[in-house]
Order: sequence, then structure tokens, then C-alpha cells
Amino acid sequence: MSHNQIGLRIDGRRPAELRKITSTTCVLSQADGSAYLEHGNTKVLAAVYGPREARHRALVLHDRAILNVELNVAPFSSGERRRRSKNDKRLLEMASFVKQTFEPVVIATLYPRSQIDIYLQVIQHDGGTLQACINATTLALIDAGIAMTDYVCACTAGWVEREAAIDLNYIEESSDTSEVTIAMLPKSSKITLAQMESRLHVDKLEEVFRLAGEGCKQMYEVMDKTIRDRAEDLARKMTV
Amino acid sequence: MPSLISPSERDYILKGIECNIRADGRQRPDYREVILETGVISQTSGSARVRLAGGTDVLVSVKADIGPVLVDPETGEGADKGQIICNVECAPSASQQFEGRGADELNNELTQMMTRFLSHNTTTLSTPSSTTPSSTGAPNNNGAGGINLSKLCIIPGEQCWILYVDALVLDYGGNLVDAVFMGTRAAIFDTRIPKTEVQDLGDGNFDFEVLDDAEDTEVVEGREDMPICITLNKIGARHIVDASPLEELCTEAKLVVAVNRSGELCGLQKGQDGGIEPSLLLEMIQFGKTLGQTLIKQLDAKIKAEAEADTIKRQNGQPVVKLGFFAQ
Repeated sequence: MSHNQIGLRIDGRRPAELRKITSTTCVLSQADGSAYLEHGNTKVLAAVYGPREARHRALVLHDRAILNVELNVAPFSSGERRRRSKNDKRLLEMASFVKQTFEPVVIATLYPRSQIDIYLQVIQHDGGTLQACINATTLALIDAGIAMTDYVCACTAGWVEREAAIDLNYIEESSDTSEVTIAMLPKSSKITLAQMESRLHVDKLEEVFRLAGEGCKQMYEVMDKTIRDRAEDLARKMTV
Repeated sequence: MPSLISPSERDYILKGIECNIRADGRQRPDYREVILETGVISQTSGSARVRLAGGTDVLVSVKADIGPVLVDPETGEGADKGQIICNVECAPSASQQFEGRGADELNNELTQMMTRFLSHNTTTLSTPSSTTPSSTGAPNNNGAGGINLSKLCIIPGEQCWILYVDALVLDYGGNLVDAVFMGTRAAIFDTRIPKTEVQDLGDGNFDFEVLDDAEDTEVVEGREDMPICITLNKIGARHIVDASPLEELCTEAKLVVAVNRSGELCGLQKGQDGGIEPSLLLEMIQFGKTLGQTLIKQLDAKIKAEAEADTIKRQNGQPVVKLGFFAQ
């Protein structure tokens, strides 16, 4: 994997530069809240249903809502066509990461005895699927009007060719490097998810985490703008 | 919400259809507006996205892979043909009923329907006006789906192109079958298969090479003859097309008619638990056939207009950006 002398990565980005991020909310007609997010070529659709009556009576909590996350990957999402079953361990693990990330953030005590469903659909996969899923979920939850204490912004970071870099694409991910996914609450800078693949020297850890944190702050700016634009748009439509 | 309907709502819809007024202002034979976009997914051989105004959103991708031929052990057929493998999946984001295993039955039904209408091989006795008669007078090599499968064969008896057609239902607003087939037709239209060069190594051995030229690709032969489906819903004594979710809940009997551009019937399936009188059945089939042909013309015009617009953009050096979800 080549690395330019001027410090550019394989797709021409600087180490601390995110890919082109585009997002929009309210894209589905049936869901209570939905969002579509693109991190470069990674495209994820998030749909939120809820709060609604819980499906499984046994799991109902008397004082708070339960969160249910399902993650699906389309067979055409990666270069090689591959159908993944619903019980694929990797997908279940990622879904549980998303659940774990949002459980402390969603103010579930406002919706006792109910269920909030989050359905994620990966349409195209080019690295950074988990971060895209978390970011799309944040937007979808806001679109659904579910109370949260803060945004949750996620970013991947890794050690690419002698320096720390954020938002790794598929080629960078599959190379012999470790990848860290961080989900952060931007206002308090608290981390709700920290997950790492492969090995990373402990000396490099701080640099990678710091860079990921900055990446999350950048994500926050982008996501906040999307939400505010949408809110202004709605306000304008209502006053006409 | 869509799995329950109150008796008053049902009555309202029933009476409205009697008077030729549907809940959203349409008349019985009116279709909702169709928004179509091709080439929306990279890394595929062809793709399309179909949206019916009202919510139904289907994404279809076609991937051409090389694999061994599938020979039917009983008839010995298939050694010189390619394959089409279909798969339909309803994402849980589409509707509340699709979470967990809720969509399994619907997925299977749609997949089997697609497989039957598209890749089931027949030896037709008629002389279809749209296909050229083969010179040796051999049976028609097209599947009922119109696609020329023998053209997809690379080395007879060994390797062939396999078209994986994957449909993903992202949003449910009624009338899934029609949307899936429209999307499939558009995606197959958009599909480009790389050319292959077969070398004869002698002794009956062949080797082939896939030409990696992005500009020099082939279209899927027979794609114009691909059928689309029209779903007719019998409500009361009348029938409607393109039902919304609430209208689907009031449906007594459902008839899916697959028709191609020549007006040939490529498939028929009746669903739900009501009955249809034979006279009404024939009327519905005729109606579906006529409507299907009109719809195919409109779809083809849309695809052609989009391709032309893209070519103009490319000639002017402008980037061709697919709107996808950002289209309003």
C-alpha cells in the first residue's frame, strides 16, 4: 500500500481527514424516524420504530424502555456477492455494540414498558460500517423524536503507514493494521463505545484515541448541521 | 399500523371503490407515480431503484459472476445455458411486520415468484414476434423471462455467467410485487456483462479470458422481453391495481399477472383466501395485460430518457451523480 511523500493516504486524504459525509433524515414512510448516511462509499440506512408496545412480554421492564437493534447487510454491499444469514455472529455482535452504545444515551425512563426498535441496513460497505451505523442511528433517533441526552458520534481510527489516521476505508481496514472504533458524546466528551481490532502498540494508543476523538467532533458538526437544516425546513413548511 | 384495520375503515374503502374513488383520490385502474433510477450501486453489473409515490421503495442489484453450469440430472438440459438466481429480501426497516423472522414467508414467496417468472425454461410453440427464430428450428432457448440464457454460456458444459438478482425492499407502501419486477427489469436493462474470449486449446479443452474493458461490455440479450407484473386486488365486486397498505388489508383475492411487451402472459398467480369468478378472472387478466403493456412502454421511455441524459452529461464533462435517497 503506497503512501505519498506529502503524507496523503491511498485515496488522497490527509490522516485527520474524514471522507465525504452526506446524510438526510426522514427517508422512509413507515418508520417513526429514519436516516440515511454516507461515509464516502459506505452507505447505511437506519429506521427507528418506537416507542411502541413491546413484542416480547417477558422482556418488558416496568420503569424503562427496552432497546432492540437489528443489523442487516445487503448481499450486494461488498465487491463479492455474499448472502449473510440473520444469525451471522459478526452482525449480531455489531448490533449488540450499537445497543450498548445507545442504552446510556436514550432517556429510556421516559417510556416505561415499551420498546424502541432500531433497524439498520447496510447498502454499501467500504470500511467503517460500525461507525456509519452508529451515526445513522443517532440521526434516526432524533428524527423519531426519542429523547436522548446527547448526540452519539462515532469514528474509526487506526495506525496507517507510520501515522495515526481516521475514517479508514475498506482497503486500509483490510491491511495489516489495527482499527479502533470510538463512539463519543460530543458535549461531555464521554466515550460510550471503544472497540479495537487487531494489535496496537500501547505507545500509539493515546495518539489514535485522541485523533478518533477529534474525528467524532467533526462528525458532530456534520450531523448537527443536517438536523438543523431539516428542522428549519420543517419550520418553514409549517408556517406557510 | 398496517396489520390492523377497523370495520369502518374497511367499509369506507369498499364503498369508495364501488364508486370508483379510492382513499388517495385515484380511480380503480390508476397507478401511482413511479420514480426510477438506474446505476445506483457501484460494484454491481447493474442496479436500479424503484419508488412508488406513497412509500414503496425497492433496490435491485444484478451481479454477473462466473460459475459452473447447472445440468439438470433428469433432462440433461442446462449444459449450454447460463443461470439467473433471484433473491428477494424485505428489510425490517420497511414495516413493523418484517422484524426478526416476520418477513421470511414474504421473502420466500417473492423469491419463488421471481424465479418462476424469470428463469424457468420453456420450449415455446408460438413464434414470438420479438425474438428472431433460430435458424435450425430448434426450440426457443429463451426462458419464460425472455432473457437469452444460452448467450450467457461461456464454455458449454463447463462455465457460464450466473446473474445474481438481489432485490431489497427498503420501504413498504403496498404493491411490492410490481415494484420488485419493475426494478428487476430496469436493473437488467442497466446490466453490462464483460466480454469473454474463448480459446480452443485443442483436445476438447477450452480456456477463456474475461476482457476487462469497462467501455466494451455486452448488454443482457433478450432484456426487452422481460416481463413485469401487475397485481390486481379484488375488493368487493371490483378490482383495483397498485393497492396501498390499507387497501391490501381489504383485499379478498389477489391476482398477479406477468406480461411482457408483446402482450404474452408469462405468469399468473392467485393469492389470498377469497375466490374469483371465472368471468371476472378473464376480465382481470385482460385488464392486467393491457395495463402491463402500457406500463412497460412508460418504463422503457423513462430508462431511455435517463440514459440519454447521462450520456449528455458525460459528453459535457459533468459528473453523473445518482440521487438515490437524496431525491425528493
